[in-house]
Amino acid sequence: MTGRGISRREFAKSAVAIGGTAALAACLDRGSASVPEGTDDPSTLPERQHAWNDALATDDAGNPRMPRHHVLLLLDYAGDGTPIDAHRERVETALRDLERAYEWSTEGLLFTLGYGPAYFERFGSGPAGVDLPEPEALAPFEDPAFDTPDALLHLASDDERVVLEAEEALKGTRETANDREMTASFDGILTESDRRTGFIGAGLPADNQDVEGVPDSEPVPEESPLFMGFKSGFKGNQATEDRVTVASGPFADGTTQHLSKIRLQLQQWYEQDSRDQRVSKMFCPAHAAEDRVEGVGENLGTDSGMDECPEDAVESGRRNGVVGHSQKMVSAREDDSPRILRRDFDSTDGGQAGLHFLSLQGSIADFVATREAMNGTDVAENSAVGQRVNNGILQYMNVERRGNYLVPPRSLRSLPPASPSK
Amino acid sequence: MNRRRFLAGAGLAGITALAGCGSLSTQSTRAPPLVEDRPDATYRPTHVEGMGMAGMAQAGDYMVGLTYSFPHRFWTVTGTTAEKVDIRSEDSLHLMATVWDPETEMVLPVSAGLSITVERDGDPVADKPPWPMVSQNMGFHYGDNYALDGDGVYQVTVRVNGMSERRLGAFSGRFGEAGETTVDFDFRQSTLEQLSFERLPDTQGDRGAVDLMNMDMIPTSQAPEVSALPGTVLGTSKGRDAVYVASWLRDAAFLDDGQSYLAVSVRTPYNRVPLPMMSLDGRVEADGEAVFEDALTATVHPDIGYHYGAVVETDASEPSVGVDVIAPPQVSRHEGYETAFLATPSFSF
Ligand code: HEM
Repeated sequence: MTGRGISRREFAKSAVAIGGTAALAACLDRGSASVPEGTDDPSTLPERQHAWNDALATDDAGNPRMPRHHVLLLLDYAGDGTPIDAHRERVETALRDLERAYEWSTEGLLFTLGYGPAYFERFGSGPAGVDLPEPEALAPFEDPAFDTPDALLHLASDDERVVLEAEEALKGTRETANDREMTASFDGILTESDRRTGFIGAGLPADNQDVEGVPDSEPVPEESPLFMGFKSGFKGNQATEDRVTVASGPFADGTTQHLSKIRLQLQQWYEQDSRDQRVSKMFCPAHAAEDRVEGVGENLGTDSGMDECPEDAVESGRRNGVVGHSQKMVSAREDDSPRILRRDFDSTDGGQAGLHFLSLQGSIADFVATREAMNGTDVAENSAVGQRVNNGILQYMNVERRGNYLVPPRSLRSLPPASPSK
Repeated sequence: MNRRRFLAGAGLAGITALAGCGSLSTQSTRAPPLVEDRPDATYRPTHVEGMGMAGMAQAGDYMVGLTYSFPHRFWTVTGTTAEKVDIRSEDSLHLMATVWDPETEMVLPVSAGLSITVERDGDPVADKPPWPMVSQNMGFHYGDNYALDGDGVYQVTVRVNGMSERRLGAFSGRFGEAGETTVDFDFRQSTLEQLSFERLPDTQGDRGAVDLMNMDMIPTSQAPEVSALPGTVLGTSKGRDAVYVASWLRDAAFLDDGQSYLAVSVRTPYNRVPLPMMSLDGRVEADGEAVFEDALTATVHPDIGYHYGAVVETDASEPSVGVDVIAPPQVSRHEGYETAFLATPSFSF
C-alpha cells in the first residue's frame, strides 16, 4: 500500500496552500538558509512592476524560470468611495518595507499589485488610457464566475517561507519580514476576499498529486514542472516584457493582467491517452509522429518547435483529426510573437488539481484573441476535430473563474487614481 | 487512507482466490480475451452487455438519457489510430449519455460534447467529459468508465454544449445554447450484476454486428434508410467499411433559386449508426464544369439526419460528385468497431 502519511516534509510543502501564521511557523522552523535582503533605494528597482525576467533564475537552456511558490490575494478596499491619501501612503510604505526586506529576485521576493474594474469604478471612470473591461466568458463551452475584487496581489518566491511571511507581514499579523521591521501594513485598508496559492517547478506537481483531478495511480512525472507532464513557458513562446507593457498615457510602464482559475481533470489524460496522444494534443501531431518531445520536453530548448508543426490549424486538424494546443496558439501571434506573457502555475486549492492562469498583455483584447485561438472553434466547425475532444487540451480543463486587472507602473502601484497626472 | 486505492488493492490481491465471487472478479470475467486476427472491418464482438437506466431529463433544447453497463474496454481515436483503453480495477461501471431532440427523437451527435460531473452529498466523485462513441448495440452516445464509491445515490450533472454543426430545416435556430441538468442515480452493484452478459463464442470475430438495442425510453441513433432520404440518391459506396450515401436535393426549403444541396450520409454497415466527426472534401461537376470543390460541413437535418453537406450553386439534376475522406470519424469505439472506419478512401458518384 502506498499510503502517504503527512510527513513533516509533506506538510512543509503544502504550507503555502494552508497559509497563516501556523503554517509559517512550521516553515520557519524548517528552513535554515538565509534569504537575501533587499534594497534601501527603491530607485534601483524597475519602474515596471512586471519586470521580473531580469530578476528570474534561468534553466539550463536559458529560459527564464518562474519562482516555485505563489500566493494570490484578492483584496477589497475597506473604505467607501475613492481611497484617501493616508491609505495610499501606508500601502506604499508596506510595499517598500517588503522591498527592503527581500531581494527583488527568485530567492527573494517578486510581486505585483494590480487593480480591477471595480476599483476604478470608485472614480466613476476606467483607468486613463487603458481599456479594462469586466471579465466575460471566453468560450461557448465555458460558464465561469467572475472575480470582482478591487485589487490582486501576486507574491512569488522560490522559498515558501518568503511568500508566507510577506503575506503575513502585509496583513499586519507579523511585525518583521526577513528580520527587518515592517513599518506599515494593509491592515484596515485592503482586506482579503480570496486567497489562492500554487507552485511550478520540477518535483512539486508530483509531490502534490494526491488531489481530485489526478488519478490515484500517481502518474505525474517527478521531473515535470506542471501537472500535465510537460514543461511550458519557453522563451520563444512568450511575449517579451516590452510587448506586454502599456506604451503611453499615465499608466505607461504598466500592463494588463488576466487571471483565470482552471480546474484540471487528468484521469483520461494519463490513463487513457497514450504518450503520442498527449504530445499531439499539447504540441502537435507532427511532434508525436517524429518523436520530437523527450520526457517533459527539456530537449526542446528555448521554444516548442512550432515552426515544425503545420501552421494552418484547421487544415492540419482536418488531416490529422487532432490539433495541438501550442499549435493552435500560433495563429494568435502578432509579428511572429505571442501576444501574452504567461506566468501561470499549478494549484491544489480546495484539494483540487488546478492551474492559476495568470497572464500579462498590453491589452485585455490580446488575451481575448489568444484565448479565441485556443478555443479552436474554427477547427471544430470545419474538421473531424471535436470542440473539446482532440482539440488541444480543452478536454482536460474547465475555466471556473476569470478576472481582469491593470498592473500600474511601480510609481502608481499604491491605490492609484483612475486618471493620474504624471 | 484512500478508499478507492484500498479497494483496488484488495481486488487485485484477491482475484485468484475469489474468482467467481461477485464484484471482485468483474475484471477477469467481464473482459474476455480479444478476438485474434480481427478483420479491418466491423466484426462481432466477444460479448454483448445489457444496459440499465440511470436517469433521464431535459437539458435546454436537449433530452439526455443516462444508462450504464459493466466497465468495459474501448478505443479512442486520433487520426487513423485507435488506442485501447483498459478497464481499471477501480472502475464501477460504463456510464453512457444519449442526447436527442425531444421533438423528432433524433439522436444528436454534438461534437461540442458534454461534461459530466458525479457527486455524492456534495462531494466530487468523478469529473470528466465522456468520449463521443459508437457501439454496435448502443449506437452513437457519449461514454466512459467511471469509478464510484459503492452503492448509493449519486448526483450526475450533465452539461450539453451548444451544437457547432450546421443545423438545417426545422433544426435551424435550435440547439445553439448549452443545456444542463442533474439527475439522481441510485447505483447498486447488485443491480448492475443482474444485467445480462452474453458471450458470443460461435460468431465472435465474424464480419457482422450485433443488433441495436431497443430501448423503451431512449431513441436509437440510426441514419435514415437509403430509400427514405430526401432528394435523389446519387449512389452508395462502401469504404472500410463505412457506408457512404450521396444524395442531391434541388428543392429543399433551405435552398435559394439556382442552388442545390449535396448531402453525404456516412453510417456503419448493418446497423446504420451515423458516423460523425469526419473531415470530408467534396467535388461537384455539372455539365462538364466544376461547380464546387471544398470541405463538406457537418450538418444535421430532420430528414437527412447527421451528414456532411454543401450548398452548391447549380440547379443541375445529374451532377457528378467526388468525395474524399480526409480524416475518419474521430469517435471512440466499442469492441467490434475499433478496426473499422479508420481508412481515408475516395469515391465518385
Ligand atoms: C492547463 C493549462 C495549460 C497548459 C498545461 C499549457 C501548456 C502549454 C505548453 C506546453 C505550451 C508550449 C510551450 C511553451 O509554453 O512555451 C503552451 C503554449 C502556449 N499556451 Fe498554453 N497551456 C495551458 C493553458 C493555456 C491557456 C489557458 C492559454 C491562454 C489562452 C494558453 C496560451 C498559450 C500560448 C499563447 C502559448 C504560446 C503560443 C505560441 O508559441 O505562439 N495556454 N502552453
